[in-house]
Amino acid sequence: MKRPLWQLFTTLVVASVLLAACGGGTPATEAPAQPEAPAVSPTEAPPAAEEPVPDEMCMGANPGDEVSMLYQWSGQEEERLNQILQPLVETCGIVLRPESTRDQALLDTRVQAGTPPDVAFWNVTQLTQYQNNLFAMDELGASADAYIPGAIDPGVINGRWLGLPIKSDIKTIIWYSPVNFEAFSYSVPTTWDELDALVEQMVADGNVPWSMGIESGDATGWTASDFIQDILLVQQGPEYVMGIIDGSIPYDDAGVVQAYQTYGKWATDPAYAVGGAQGTLSTGFLAAIHKPFSDPPEAMMVKQSGFAGGEVQSQYPDLEFGVDYDFFVVPGAQGLQGGSDWMMAFSDKPAVKALVAYLSSPMGGANWAKASFDLSPNKGAAGNYTDPSLIKKAEAFYNTQGFTPDIGDTIPGGFGSAEWKAIVDYLNGADLATALAQAAAVQAEALR
Amino acid sequence: MSRDRINKILNRIPTHAIIIFMILVWVVPTFGLLVTSLRPSQAINTSGWWTILSPPRGSAEYTEYCAACHGSGGDALPSANLSDPQLVGQFPRSLQLLAALRRDIDGQPHMGDVPLPEVQAAADIAGYLKQLSGIESQPRFTFSNYIDALVGYRGTTTYQQDCAAGTAPLDIKCDASDLLNPRGMGRAFVNSLIVTIPATILPIMFAAFAGYAFAWLDFKGRFLLFAILVGLQVVPLQMTLVPISRLYAQLGLNGTFLGVWLFHTGFGMPYAIYLMRNFLGSLPRDLFESAYLDGASHWTAFYKLVLPLAMPAIASLGIFQFLWVWNDLLVALVFLGGTTPVMTYQISNMVTSLGAGWHLLTASAFLSMLLPMIVFFGLQRYFVRGMLAGAVKG
Amino acid sequence: MAGRSVPNIMRQGKLAPWLYLMPALLIMSFFIVYPMINTVSLSFKNRDGTASAATTCVEGNPCWGVFENYRIALTAEFDTRTFSSFWRTFWVSSYGNTIKWIFLMVSGTVGLGLMFAVLADRVKYEALAKAIIFMPMAVSFVGAGIIWKFVYDYGTQQVQIGLLNAIITSLGGQPTAFLTIPQLNTVALIVVGVWIWTGFCMTILSAALKSVPDEILEAARVDGATEWTIFWRIMVPIILPTITVVVTTMVINVLKLFDIVYVMTGGNFGTNVIANRMYTEMYTNFNVGRGTAVAVVLVIAIIPFIYFNIRRFLAQEEMR
Repeated sequence: MKRPLWQLFTTLVVASVLLAACGGGTPATEAPAQPEAPAVSPTEAPPAAEEPVPDEMCMGANPGDEVSMLYQWSGQEEERLNQILQPLVETCGIVLRPESTRDQALLDTRVQAGTPPDVAFWNVTQLTQYQNNLFAMDELGASADAYIPGAIDPGVINGRWLGLPIKSDIKTIIWYSPVNFEAFSYSVPTTWDELDALVEQMVADGNVPWSMGIESGDATGWTASDFIQDILLVQQGPEYVMGIIDGSIPYDDAGVVQAYQTYGKWATDPAYAVGGAQGTLSTGFLAAIHKPFSDPPEAMMVKQSGFAGGEVQSQYPDLEFGVDYDFFVVPGAQGLQGGSDWMMAFSDKPAVKALVAYLSSPMGGANWAKASFDLSPNKGAAGNYTDPSLIKKAEAFYNTQGFTPDIGDTIPGGFGSAEWKAIVDYLNGADLATALAQAAAVQAEALR
Repeated sequence: MSRDRINKILNRIPTHAIIIFMILVWVVPTFGLLVTSLRPSQAINTSGWWTILSPPRGSAEYTEYCAACHGSGGDALPSANLSDPQLVGQFPRSLQLLAALRRDIDGQPHMGDVPLPEVQAAADIAGYLKQLSGIESQPRFTFSNYIDALVGYRGTTTYQQDCAAGTAPLDIKCDASDLLNPRGMGRAFVNSLIVTIPATILPIMFAAFAGYAFAWLDFKGRFLLFAILVGLQVVPLQMTLVPISRLYAQLGLNGTFLGVWLFHTGFGMPYAIYLMRNFLGSLPRDLFESAYLDGASHWTAFYKLVLPLAMPAIASLGIFQFLWVWNDLLVALVFLGGTTPVMTYQISNMVTSLGAGWHLLTASAFLSMLLPMIVFFGLQRYFVRGMLAGAVKG
Repeated sequence: MAGRSVPNIMRQGKLAPWLYLMPALLIMSFFIVYPMINTVSLSFKNRDGTASAATTCVEGNPCWGVFENYRIALTAEFDTRTFSSFWRTFWVSSYGNTIKWIFLMVSGTVGLGLMFAVLADRVKYEALAKAIIFMPMAVSFVGAGIIWKFVYDYGTQQVQIGLLNAIITSLGGQPTAFLTIPQLNTVALIVVGVWIWTGFCMTILSAALKSVPDEILEAARVDGATEWTIFWRIMVPIILPTITVVVTTMVINVLKLFDIVYVMTGGNFGTNVIANRMYTEMYTNFNVGRGTAVAVVLVIAIIPFIYFNIRRFLAQEEMR
C-alpha cells in the first residue's frame, strides 16, 4: 500500500509543478474584437459601431504595455467596461490585466504592501485614504473642462485632483408603475406636499405606498440613509448636507432629527411601508425593488437609485420602461444626490495616461453612454445614451441644479456604518436622540 | 432465538432513527439549493423551491373559475380561445384581466353568478393563461444556471437564449469551445487543482515529521514550543496578508504558484502539527519498543511503522486542508492575483457588484462542491477500523 | 521533562528532533510568527501606523496611553453607567456573542459529531451517512449563505420562499424574521455554524474511535456492559485526548469565525462577533491600530485553552 501511495504523491506534485510552469494562468482579458452586438438588455437597439481612437491618444504607449486594474465590477458590468475600453485597446495595443473583487482587503493589502494596481476603480473615500500614493489627474493629461460642473469636486483632495468620476448614478428618484397609477387615478407629484398627499391617498385607498427594504449583508441600512439624505435635500437643502459633510453641522442637529422622523413615520408603520419596521429591516434591497412591479403589486412606489431599472428588467423581462415601470425625481429636492465610481491612478506610465486621456475625452464619454454602463459626468456622454431609462436619467442628471454626494461615502473612517447603525437602532425602536448622538460622535472623530 | 433477534432489531431501531433524522435535517437545506439551481432565475424569487413539483401557479384557480366554460385547455369556446396568444396578450396582468371580467357579455355578467376572483387569484390566472397560450413558457427545470456558470456567461438573460437569438457577446462562440472560455470554469478548475494539490501535500509532510518529533522525541523546550503552537492557530488570516505581501514583493513571489503554496503550507501548519501530534501520541508505546528492540532507527520506525498507522489522521488532515484551500478566495486573490483565476474567483465574479445574477451562485456552489466530495469518498477507505488490531502482542 | 516520558530504548542524538522539526518551524516563523509580531507592534500605534496610539486620545475621555487601542477594543461596546445596562450591552456585544457562540457551537458540534460517529459506526450505510453530514463542509461560505437564505428568508407577501417561514405560515403562524430579531438571530447563525462544522468533528472523532481496539469492546460486551456504559467508561476515556484536540480546534475556529456572520447579517442586529469586529475596524473603518488590537485580544483569549491542552497531554504521557 505504501509504494503506490508514494508514487501517487510524487506524480501529483510533479504534475502540479509542470502544469504551473507551462501553462498556469489565463491570458489577459482583452475585449472582443468588434464592438457590435453587446450583451445588453433586450430593450436596447444595438449601438452604432464605435469610431476608432486617434493615435495620439495612446500617449506614447507601446503595443503590449500592460495596465493592471482593480475594480468592484463583475458579471455584466465587466462586460460593459470591456466594451467601452475596447477601441482604446485596439488602437494602442495595450493589454489590460483586470482583477475584480468587492473585498476592500485586497486593495488595501496591495497598496500597503507596495504593489498597488496601476489603476483602481473604487469609491471616493479611497481617494482620501490613498492620497499619498496617487498621481494627480491633470498631470496625467485629463482636463477638468471635460466634466460637467461640480462633478470632479469630491475628487479634489487637499488641492490635488486625484480621481476621474466615471460611472455615476442618481439616487433621488422614485420608481413606480404608471399602469398601477393610472388604474387608481394617481398622478405624479410635483411638490413635496403633493407627494405627502399622494401617500395619504394611497393609504386611504387601501394600497401600501412605500416598498422599503434595507437589508444588505454588512451594508444594511444604505437604502435608508439614501432616503433620509434625499429628505434632507428637500427639507433643508444642499448647503445643509454639505455642512454635515464638512462637520460644521453635527449629525444630531434638529434638521436631521426632522428628516429621520419623516422617514420613520413611513418606515415603521405597516400601513405606509410593506411589513412596517420588521419588513423594512428584513427585506433585502433587491426584493424591495420588485414589490411595486409584482402582480398584484405589494406597494406603489420604491425610492431607489437608477440601477433599480435594470433589476426590474431582469426579474420581469416582459415589462417595458415608460409603460410598466418608470421613475420621477423626488419632488422638491433641491439638487440631486448622486454617487460616482472613481478611477484613480497609482502609476504614471504611458498606458495609464492613455486610459486617462481616453476616459476623459468626449469620445470616451460617448462610448460610455453607448455601452449603457450607467451615466457619465463626462460632457461627451450627453446625447449619446441609447437605453430609454438612461436617457431619462441623463435628462435629470444634466439639468440638475447641483449634486450632493452621499454623506456616508464622503466622510472618512466608518461614519457610514455609524449612520446605518443609527438607522437600524431607530427602526428597532431605540430613542432617536441617543442613536443620532452616537453617530454624531463618530462624525466628530472622523472629521477631527 | 427469535426473541433475541427481535431484541436485536429493536435495539437497532433507535440508532437508525437518530441517524436518519440527522441525515434528513442535514440534507434538506442542501437539497433545497440543488432544486433551486435547477430553476429559472425568475422563479427563484417568486416561489419556494418545494413547489417545484406542484401544479403550476394559477392552475387551481383557473380550474375553479374558468375551466367550466373555457375548458381545461382554454380552447373550448372558439370565440374566446384562451390558447391564442393574440387574445391572451391583451390581459397580461390581473388589472387588465379583472377589468375584462367586469365587462358584460351580451348583457350578462362575464362570470355569471360566480363572484369575481380576488386580486391574487386573478394574477395567478393571468400567469397561467400566459403558459396556456405559450406566450411565456417557463420550464420547471432548466440546466441554464449550470451552463451559464460553466461558460462564465455575463449577459442579462441566459447563454442558451442568447445563442438562440444570436445576440451572444463576441467571446462566446456558441459551441463546445466555450467551456474553455477564460471566464468560465474550465481553466479555473485546472488552476484550482494546481493551487490545491501541493498546498495539501506539503503541510501534511512537514506536519507528520514535526508531529512525530513532538510526540515521541525528547528535546528541550518541547512543551513551551507546543504551547506556542496551539496559540499560533488563532492568528487571523487578515493579519498576515500585508507583511507577507511585502515580503513576497521583495522576493518576487507575488503572483506565483509557489507563493500560494508556501503561504497555505505555513498557515495550515500549526493545526496540522497539532492534529498529527495528538494522533501519533496515542499510538501504543509497545509498538515502538518492539521496533527498537528489533534494531530499527528513528527514520525506519517513522517511515515503516508510524506513517501507515497514521493514515486515518493523514486522511482527515488531507481532506480538511484540501477543502480549506479549494474554497479559499482571499489568499488566492492576494498572492496569486485575479489574472490566474481559481474557481472561487470565477464564481465570485458571476455576480455584479449589486448582487444581480446571484442565481448563478446556486449552480456554481454545486459545481465547486463536486471534487471535494469525490476526495472525501476516496479517502474514506483509510478510515478503517482495527488497523492496530494484532499489531501488539498479547 | 525527563526521558521517562519517551521510550528510553530509543537512543537519540540532540540533533534528531530538530531535523524533524526544522522545516515546519522555519515555515511557521515566516508565515505566522513574523506577521504576529508585526500585528502586536501595530496595535500600539494609531490608525495608519505612523504614530503612537497615545496620540489618538480624546480630551475628556479616559485614556490608556499607548494601550488606547486596547481600551477601545475592550470597552467601547459597553454602557457602563449601571450594572444592568452593562449586563445588557455585554450580551449583545461582540464579546457576549462570542461567548454564546463558543458554548453553543462547540458543545453542539462536538456532541453531535461524537454521537454520530459512534452510531454511524454500527450501520451498513456508514460511508453514505458520514458523507452527508460532511457535505456542508465542502460547500463554500458563499454557498452556505445562499442555502440558509432559502431557509430563513422572511417574505412579506403571501408566498414565502424561506422554508422555515413557509412551514410556520402553513401552520397558521406569522412569519418570523430570523435574522433580524435580536438573540434569536445569534442562535439562527449558530445553527448554521453547527450544520457546517459537525462534519469536521465527526470525521476526526470517527478516526479516533476506529483505533479503539476491538478486543476491549468485545470483552466488555461479553461481560454484560450496556452500550451506554461502554461509551462513557471505555470509549470516551480512550479518545479523551482527541476530544481535547477537537474541542480546542473548535474553540479556535469559533474565535476566528467571521464568514457566517459577515455573509448573513454583516454583524448587524446584535450579531457581531470579535473576528467580524476586527475585519470591520481594519477594512471598513480603516483603523489598523484598533483592528490589530482586537486581533491580539483574540489571541490572548486562547491562552486558557492552551493551559488545558498542556495538562491533558501531560496526563496522556503519564499513561504511557
